[in-house]
Amino acid sequence: MDETVAEYIRRTVLKIPRDEIKTMLQKWGFLSETQLQTINFHQIKENISQDVVQLCEENSANIKQAAVLDIIYNHIYPNKRMWSVYQMNKRGEETEIFDLTDFKKKFKRRLRSALKNVTINFREYEDNAIWIRIAWGTPYTKPNQYKASYVVYHSQTPYIFISASMLRSNLPLLCQALVVASNYHDIREMELRSHSLNSLKDIVFKRYSQNFQTYCPRPLQERNVAPESADLRIIHENKSEKERIQRVNQEVFGDGPQPKLEFAQYKLETMFKSDPKIDVLDKKEPFRCLVKFSSPHLLESLKSLAPAGLADAPLSPLLTCIPQKARNYFKIREKKGLFPGSFVSP
Amino acid sequence: ENVDPQRTAFLLRKQWTLYSVSPLYGFSNAQLRDYARLLSAFIAAEKQKGLAVEVGVELDIKVAVSSLPDLKGSDQDQAAILVQLSSRSPASPKNSEEKLVWLGWFCCVAGDDLSQNVPEDFTCLPLFLANGAESYTSIVGSWFQKTFDCCFRRLAISPLNLSWMAAMWTGCKVEKTASAMELVFSVPCLPQPLDISYAIHPEDAKALWDTVQKTPGEITQEEVDVFMDCLYSHFHRHFKIHLSATKLVKVSTAIASAHCDGIVKFLQSQYLTGVLMLLTELAISQIQ
Repeated sequence: MDETVAEYIRRTVLKIPRDEIKTMLQKWGFLSETQLQTINFHQIKENISQDVVQLCEENSANIKQAAVLDIIYNHIYPNKRMWSVYQMNKRGEETEIFDLTDFKKKFKRRLRSALKNVTINFREYEDNAIWIRIAWGTPYTKPNQYKASYVVYHSQTPYIFISASMLRSNLPLLCQALVVASNYHDIREMELRSHSLNSLKDIVFKRYSQNFQTYCPRPLQERNVAPESADLRIIHENKSEKERIQRVNQEVFGDGPQPKLEFAQYKLETMFKSDPKIDVLDKKEPFRCLVKFSSPHLLESLKSLAPAGLADAPLSPLLTCIPQKARNYFKIREKKGLFPGSFVSP
Repeated sequence: ENVDPQRTAFLLRKQWTLYSVSPLYGFSNAQLRDYARLLSAFIAAEKQKGLAVEVGVELDIKVAVSSLPDLKGSDQDQAAILVQLSSRSPASPKNSEEKLVWLGWFCCVAGDDLSQNVPEDFTCLPLFLANGAESYTSIVGSWFQKTFDCCFRRLAISPLNLSWMAAMWTGCKVEKTASAMELVFSVPCLPQPLDISYAIHPEDAKALWDTVQKTPGEITQEEVDVFMDCLYSHFHRHFKIHLSATKLVKVSTAIASAHCDGIVKFLQSQYLTGVLMLLTELAISQIQ
């Protein structure tokens, strides 16, 4: 077995949390159950990985087989990577039946025609997700297995999720191969990025609960309100305002859990406007800003701002449109004409 | 303020943790060599006691204490004192390169408020800046406290003072390629914490400040408030969020950056003394 393969397997096993190693090796299926029985999974990881490498040596593992273990790891821990979303477009209305074998053949052929040194692996999952792992080399060097790119493609949709971690120069080639293999016309990058692959899927597949405008003549009284104090002299301050905020928030964000994003970025190129009483800056050029919001769970965080008194309700559409627009990178310019106060996001 | 940029270049672009230090009793500029020797012995003794600074690595720590006469505001100020800890692994030969592991310096820039009110035997160096492992800072601090009967305290920077820094530093003249004026706000007490970074193009930020500031060379609290309110209302116009209700935790400009936990970075030697003057003032108010 090649030394580089041995080292790659060793390092891949080391990434896996100790309690998960056995299950993952079983999923991989490269080592037999008998072989797995010989490993003591309670020793330190360093030793476990050495034992695994030893057994792989016995089975003469090659790099393609080792790469499968890497896909399995990344499928279980996708949130360690940053994912971008791409959308493909078809020229006409023809819907062809998706042929997996044809897709794989065309993809490999297109990549290999441009680049001899690539390692390509496919793995299909139950939810119609096709995972592709590509390790890139150059005409003179072997593929770098440690900087592989991952592609997740749901064949019933025009969306592709890519975790690149590679030279930007290989990206056009990857996109081209995807378009050709899936019989689409072109592909464009969406302004949507996150570590949470599932949340990105929720957003583009519209799997989160959306806010539908409902006509409510009076405030709904579905929520369980804490029992009022028996003493009628004690009332909640601003009770009606608090209820209004809750209602508006619910309309704007919807009732269900929000997709999980970690950040949103806004490049502002709007005019600076201030209180006319204060004699300040009155330039004809935009006031250039870059605003970045970050949170372990951004949308839930934004949802809680108005109830906490930190923001107005409803919150700005620049923030609440994130799931519908399926983007978290924005460039905001002043809208010219009738309504100088409104914004345009190209 | 003729600070030789070459002599102070090593202070730039490092992260400094700030402390206020009460006046030192019996400190003498003439005994710096002795202090280095004593501190060195103290560190060795602490290591013997098992208060290992670096686990598993046996390092020989060498101490150097020197004076930085350039860093002061006026002649009344004490010259800054620099303490350097370097190490040489015992495995390498005697005259091999020493590696700097920790740096700390005391300074006083325009500290008349304090120095005018202390008795003869006291030396005023109210600001202390440390770069390197916390464990070394702790040992060096303990020695100074024991030897000169002084008190070190972490210097926090309030949002009020951070907004002063934002206004002051935005007003400074810098080259075309200056970095943005960035304010970082934190909202920790939500079910999911939120951080907001608000970065403004340096030319636009300066243009705004220039229309707010009435007298060049002078800044009033009112002007700082107007400046910040303008930035808050521009933000509110877009996002409907009240930044004034959140906590300003960090200010970053081309001149310097400062974090509310008392951590600063100096980025331009031209303005080094100016920033130190402000920090000295903060240190003095913490001592008094």
